[in-house]
Parts: sequence; C-alpha cells; structure tokens
Amino acid sequence: MKAIEEVVTLQVPATAEYVDLVRVTLYGIAAKMGFSYEAIEDMKVAVSEACNNAVLYAYEQGSSAAPEEQSVEIKFVKKFDSLSIIVKDNGRSVDAVSEAPQTSPLHGKKIDEIHSGGLGLYLMQALMDQVEVLSNAGTQVTLTKRLVRSEELA
Amino acid sequence: MNQQNKFHLRTETTKGRCTVYVSGEFDLEVAGQMRAAMAPLIELTDRELALNLRDLKYIDSTGIGILVSMLKARHANNAAFIVEAIPPSIRKLFDMTGITPFLTRQA
Repeated sequence: MKAIEEVVTLQVPATAEYVDLVRVTLYGIAAKMGFSYEAIEDMKVAVSEACNNAVLYAYEQGSSAAPEEQSVEIKFVKKFDSLSIIVKDNGRSVDAVSEAPQTSPLHGKKIDEIHSGGLGLYLMQALMDQVEVLSNAGTQVTLTKRLVRSEELA
Repeated sequence: MNQQNKFHLRTETTKGRCTVYVSGEFDLEVAGQMRAAMAPLIELTDRELALNLRDLKYIDSTGIGILVSMLKARHANNAAFIVEAIPPSIRKLFDMTGITPFLTRQA
C-alpha cells in the first residue's frame, strides 16, 4: 500500500445555504471510498458543524474580508485508510474554537441549567477520530475519520 | 438537492394537542424558519406541544439548540413538550449530546 493522497477541493460562499452542498459532496466521496452508512452520517454532522462555525463567526462585523472573499474552502484528502476534511476560512480567528469541551454541555444538568453553546465542537470531537483546530489568519479545522472497510468487520 | 432532504413543517392542531411534523434536513439554513414557526406554538400553554421527527433526515447542533430553547420555554411555562418518533440516526446524536433525558420526560 503506497501513501498516495488524492485531494478534492470545494470552495463555497460562507452562507448557510451552501452547507448542504458540502454534505452531498462528502457523501459522494465517502461512499465511493467504502465508508459505512453510519460513518458517513457521523462525518456529515461533523463537517457541517465546522462549516456552520465558519458561516456564523468567521466574517462577522469587523472582518476585513471583502464580500467576494467571504468563502469557505473544503478540502477532502483521501488516503488509503482515512479521509480528512479540512475546512478553512480566511476570516477572523476564533480563539474559543481551540478549546473543545470534553463533555456535552447538556450532560447531567437540570433543565434550567442547560444551554447549547459549544455543542458543535463537542459533536465534532465525538463523531470523528481526530479533530485539529488551527487559528491563524482565519480558522482551519481538520477532521479525520479512519476507514474501516466492511470486509474487515466480518 | 433531492426533495426528501428539503426541510418541511406541517402542523396538526386538535383540542388538547399540537403536533408538528418536521421532515428533511433541520440545519442552520432553516433555523430562522423553524424559530419563527415555533414561537406562537410555544405560547399555547393550554395544550401539549409535540414534535414528530419520523421523517427527519438530519439535524445539527443548530437544530438541537432550537430544541433546547423550546424545552426551556415550555418548562418555564409549565407546559408539556414531547419529541416523538425519533429515527435511530437522530437518536444517536441526541444520546451523544445528552438531550435525550429531557425529551422523554414530561414538563
């Protein structure tokens, strides 16, 4: 097995209406690689959360990026035994993103105490094998899922 | 995008109950639409409010966040809020985030 890497790149405007396009693309790539239905569902949520963060926070008021530069780049890096999805914006860096909550903000709480902040990042961690967040002139999130082929499960 | 994934809401109201059938993909794109549709229903404290998720294909943290705020609003008003017919893939995310116990417990 050679360490061949194949990359598919998608660039979309940083708006909510393009996140489903990212999911459809992910589905096509992951299904072709042989990921299970469940693994694909996990990745769909994780990748959407990374895109949501870019849509919601990267280009808030005060961002110097011109409207046509307000985009999100999604790079699908296919390897023999894994798929990494790199979600990158060129907006402002969000420091808060680098600290992932270890438990869900909803676990073991009373109803008046619960809140949904930090849920997106928590889900990314819970659903992927590896999550890496880099904040430096924009934010770059790398999500990796190992490929367990169905014949290996038998 | 195929029709099955398109977000759709249908509301059925009877005397004691208001049931909202949520189908398709419940994500950031439709968050505003969902919040606007739910706001008046949350105020109807004389009947129980149920969300039926039978045909829901996808939910993200934005959708779960909206469920959390609906739970809190109904709880504050002492009114019943029920989430029913949760598909397995959605249930997995509910379990993971810890929202499940709140959804299965009556207000």
